[in-house]
Amino acid sequence: MPDRLSYDAIVVGGGPAGTAAALVMARGGLSVIQIERGRFAGAKNIFGGVFYTHALADVLPDYWERKPPFERPVTEQGYWMLSPDSALRIMHKSEQYRQEPAGAYTVLRARFDPWFAAQAVEAGALLITRTTVTRLLKDARGFVIGVDTDRPDGQVYAPIVIIAEGVNNLLTRQAGLIASDLPPRYVALSVKEYLSMPPKELQARFGLAGPREGVAIDIFGDATLGLPGTAFLYTDQAGISIGVGMLLEEFVCHRLRPYDVLARFKNHPVIRPYLEGSESREYGAHLIPEMGYDRMPRLAGNGVMVAGDAAGMVDALHREGTNLAIIAGKAAAETALAAHEQGDFSAAFLSRYRRDLEASFVLKDMKQYRHMTDFLDSTPGFMGTYANLLNDAALRYFTAHGIPKRSMEREIVSLLRERRSFTGIAWDMLKLMRAMRG
Amino acid sequence: MSERQHQPLDPAIEASLPHVNVDDLIVCLKYYVDETQAHIGIKDQHICAECDPKPCLAFCPAHVFEVDRHGHIMVSYQACIECGSCRIACPFHNVEWQLPRGGYGVAYKYG
Repeated sequence: MPDRLSYDAIVVGGGPAGTAAALVMARGGLSVIQIERGRFAGAKNIFGGVFYTHALADVLPDYWERKPPFERPVTEQGYWMLSPDSALRIMHKSEQYRQEPAGAYTVLRARFDPWFAAQAVEAGALLITRTTVTRLLKDARGFVIGVDTDRPDGQVYAPIVIIAEGVNNLLTRQAGLIASDLPPRYVALSVKEYLSMPPKELQARFGLAGPREGVAIDIFGDATLGLPGTAFLYTDQAGISIGVGMLLEEFVCHRLRPYDVLARFKNHPVIRPYLEGSESREYGAHLIPEMGYDRMPRLAGNGVMVAGDAAGMVDALHREGTNLAIIAGKAAAETALAAHEQGDFSAAFLSRYRRDLEASFVLKDMKQYRHMTDFLDSTPGFMGTYANLLNDAALRYFTAHGIPKRSMEREIVSLLRERRSFTGIAWDMLKLMRAMRG
Repeated sequence: MSERQHQPLDPAIEASLPHVNVDDLIVCLKYYVDETQAHIGIKDQHICAECDPKPCLAFCPAHVFEVDRHGHIMVSYQACIECGSCRIACPFHNVEWQLPRGGYGVAYKYG
């Protein structure tokens, strides 16, 4: 056979899962080619975005010396429950968050992902951008032995392919690791705007002492029209990341335009003052796989493993994803290293990748929250009902009416009963608890 | 599509939704348009003609889909931000969906 392009391993995708895999394999001594369809790693990537450093430390213990392009540490975080004209806020701010490096930073992905990919390149991985993988190549036994790309003579061969293609899981399906496409009830559509604002102004508005403080707020209720979903407001170095996400099915069934929902949220009387005078720099959209533990693809086949969004590795409740992706990429890479040592690339051998993840927080958390999406889907009014209720109750509680407090308490109770019976509430809470306990 | 029956939206909430021109949002985006090849398209226009709610006109975050005066669906693939919603949510799976060729399509500056 004429000199075909061969490596020890191929990684499809330049996001966190793919880069973690490429980095760990390159450090382990394998020849690695990482293929990214964008003009640079991260060109297609967007998230809220809070990034958790524990996963980065796991693959790059000296990451802090390498000056990652973080925006702001998250030193205050919490939840806002919106009704159409009010907000009830539960925020947590602590000196404990001020240690450096912090546990969480806001990040802009078109800045962060190229930096992360450069660390893998430094470790010896070959990063090829502007190249779309079009299909997997298989041998007669059905083992994945490489990929075809949209470059002329673009076949590349390796005994192991790690798919980190993201939520649009075309290759994962072609590999036969997942039977059918994700239904719109198990995928969230999120839209986001990045708004620029001078750091001093930003810090004054959000009560931040300087560039080493930042806020991450997750917002429920009226932000998503009371439908299952969340909105977010995060501070970046010189700007704000603001967005709203709901199950795709909600947009379909209610014929909602995502950008209208975002604009409505930005115009909420509690939100608007924070944004005043800011400039819109970028708009984007992304799907989030929320199929949960029970609908994940198989994680390994003959000659192939899948990691990150492509495998549905998201914990929506805690807005985690990139950290799961990095840990999974690393676990897949370690399995690839062991496979090379043994010369065994069968699905049976590669199944140790899944065993490693089952032992880590990645699949433990996914298992615990396996019913979360179903809970929200089966209780569509949950967020709206309770966010409104809490705000109405707070208004009664904080207002002096000249009526006895005992009457005020009774009013609050009857507010509750007007909207949801006690058995209804008990049932909602029981379902929520079940969804949280796994 | 779903086992759940969707309650209609509260009319007050419906009325509170603004009508945003998405062009004002995507004007900030950097695209490298593949002039020779569209990465998304309609498989069968007849199916779209029969599709009554045409949800793609609403849910696509870049408003890529529009109806022309002959009732055909037009696909402005140039504005696509490659999220994949239409691939998944078209009720008839009638969207031909590929990734753009390498280097083409949207390129986020912030992300």
